Amino acid sequence: MATATTTPSRRSQAPRDDGTRKRSFVPYALLLPAVIILLFGMGYPVIWQFYISFHKYGALQQLGGKPPEFVWFDNFVAVATNPEFWAVAIRSVLFCVITAAVTVAVGILLALLMKKVSAAARLVLQISLLLAWAMPVVAAMTVWIWLFDRRRGVVNYLLDKIPGVDMNQYNWIGGAPIVFFAVASIIVVWMSVPFVAFSVYAGLTQVSDEVIEATELDGAGGGQRLRYIYLPMLRPVIAIVLLLNLIWDLRVFAQITMLQDAGPQSTEYDLLGTYIYKLGVGGLNFGQGAAMSIFVLALTIALSWFYVRSLLKEDEA
Amino acid sequence: MNKKLGALALLGASAIVLAGCSGGGTPASTDGATAGFDPAAAKDQNITLWLMGGDTPDALRDYLKTEYKAATGGTLTIEEQSWGDALTKLTAQLPDSKNTPDVTEIGNTWSPTFTTAGAFADLSGIYKDLGGSDLLDSFVKVGEVDGKQYALPYYFGSRYITYRKDIWDKAGLSVPKTLDEFNADVAKLKTPEQSGFYIGGQDWRNGISWVFANGGDLAKKDGDKWVSTLSDEKTVEGLEQFQTLFKDASNAPVTENDSTPWVNINNDKSGAAPTAATIIAPGWAHWSIGDFKEEKKKDDGTTTEVREWNDATFGVFPLPGNDGKPAPVFAGGSNIAISAKSTKQAGAKELLRIMFSGEYQDMLGKNGLGPANTKHVDSLGDDIFAKALIDSALNSKLTPAAPGWAAVEGQKILEEFFGKVAAGGDIASLAKEYDTKINAIING
Repeated sequence: MATATTTPSRRSQAPRDDGTRKRSFVPYALLLPAVIILLFGMGYPVIWQFYISFHKYGALQQLGGKPPEFVWFDNFVAVATNPEFWAVAIRSVLFCVITAAVTVAVGILLALLMKKVSAAARLVLQISLLLAWAMPVVAAMTVWIWLFDRRRGVVNYLLDKIPGVDMNQYNWIGGAPIVFFAVASIIVVWMSVPFVAFSVYAGLTQVSDEVIEATELDGAGGGQRLRYIYLPMLRPVIAIVLLLNLIWDLRVFAQITMLQDAGPQSTEYDLLGTYIYKLGVGGLNFGQGAAMSIFVLALTIALSWFYVRSLLKEDEA
Repeated sequence: MNKKLGALALLGASAIVLAGCSGGGTPASTDGATAGFDPAAAKDQNITLWLMGGDTPDALRDYLKTEYKAATGGTLTIEEQSWGDALTKLTAQLPDSKNTPDVTEIGNTWSPTFTTAGAFADLSGIYKDLGGSDLLDSFVKVGEVDGKQYALPYYFGSRYITYRKDIWDKAGLSVPKTLDEFNADVAKLKTPEQSGFYIGGQDWRNGISWVFANGGDLAKKDGDKWVSTLSDEKTVEGLEQFQTLFKDASNAPVTENDSTPWVNINNDKSGAAPTAATIIAPGWAHWSIGDFKEEKKKDDGTTTEVREWNDATFGVFPLPGNDGKPAPVFAGGSNIAISAKSTKQAGAKELLRIMFSGEYQDMLGKNGLGPANTKHVDSLGDDIFAKALIDSALNSKLTPAAPGWAAVEGQKILEEFFGKVAAGGDIASLAKEYDTKINAIING
């Protein structure tokens, strides 16, 4: 097992060694465009975001009525002492952890299914997953909102058909916040499962048939094979897709905004993305908005730190 | 989100850079701003006009383009902005002389935020020529700073009641004379399948009428500071009425806005019964209310239902107050202004001259938009819709002209507050909580 995970990394290190030995200039030149794009695309806005977060920066400053006034950490203090913000932050972290975990679990199951079924069935499955993955967010959201519509939604229609279940006019989107977030979570999972399924499936195809044959000879059942062979071998893949999904789900914005447009506007239905937009852009408080987004940046780094470190360790091993 | 924040930071950045640049070179534009028309300078200037949403019909847009070409030889480009992102786009682009629209329509309630920040050019030099005291006063006031006009009225709208005559008649009810009667009548019409009066819980733009009708208000000016007045006795009285009304007459969810109430009052296309006996909606909604005629395919492939108004089934009346006059409703409508950063002030002023011409004002009225110049209100016609529109507009009110009001709306604070009131929350403590929230930002 250990050999299987370390071989690829060793192979990938090999060319790097060659490069340094020749003291070639080329790798650095090749890196340069990416670094420049990153600096201009990300560096500049991030620096300005820090600048704004230390200033009183509202409509007056933005429209040129008054120069921005340096206020030290006032914006950060205002954000940190705002209980509403903390409620939103905790809600966001819960949402992202649960949604990412469900996404990865469903993705692994689909990948295993793809490995098991016949070629024709696999093709159908892959095409459907690809279509879901390629669907533009706005188009997908429009359909999802119709599905969950209170009055004419298919979901209520079908559930209502079940004897003894009264789901007529049940308000999925504008009802209790917990139901709203469950719907949002289902949609986000639907949108991100294909990526996980394909990545894990690619990982599965790397597990050599000899190993599986050996386990069969040793009499291991499906469950044991999954637990002792597949999952350990897939660990690096699973770790990276989980990390990516955690980051994506923490900064989820479009799905929540569109669900809110379909009804609830109250802060109880906000996650960090929509809350920052509401307060910073809608509320014309750019200073506090910037301070909050710096917090989210820190949160993202903190959440992913553990994973990045373990990934680095794995690379070193 | 990162993208959005990046864009936000970038726009902040450009604003600062530009502010820095303009420090040295502003006098030229301020000179032009206080003066009157300058047709010579306007010659061949190509300008851009931002219109919000689809409220201005195509015929009017074409008229503006043709007339502008005839007057100056320049081209007028009209860009339509959606109401949803308009506030964000305006704050981003008005300070940038390279990207600013030269003339822009703006929600009347946002005017104070922009005028106090100096985003618009001074129009006091041409105010008299554009109509002066004939222009709708409340809209002029909301665009004034220190007696100078920075934003002028574009058109006004109003909200009135549309009801199902058949359902009201069957229940033995006639058009109510007072607000109390209205509240009682619509409560009688509620069944599990049918709202007596369909109003969403978050719908503060309509719900506010009950506050206004009881003498309450959203905020008042105390010295030179604005103060939120949700906790005032009269406001609370109105909110209590709204809470009872929502509970007793409406089946709408607490989380519903003022989106599309007309779907509730129509029979659906297969003829099934309506889900509301009464709604409140802006004047132009009557185009969407009536008997189902046909399904029409539009150029972009979507289908819309064509409805034909039926006097036997539907009727309209202004929401009655308890003092014999219509209840004050929230005045809808827009203002129009010239960007202070526009480099084509002369051309922009020529466009305003066309927009405030008698001919254009009449065109607004014929299309159901209340003309800015009150001398042309006749052009609205004298059908039942025009009468209900004018009657309800006469007593209409605007939101507070406070510098921070756009932020209050942008943060959806009132949606949240009205939603919680409609859900049956304790009004006194909610009012106190939201007074604090609003007071923190209402002065900008």
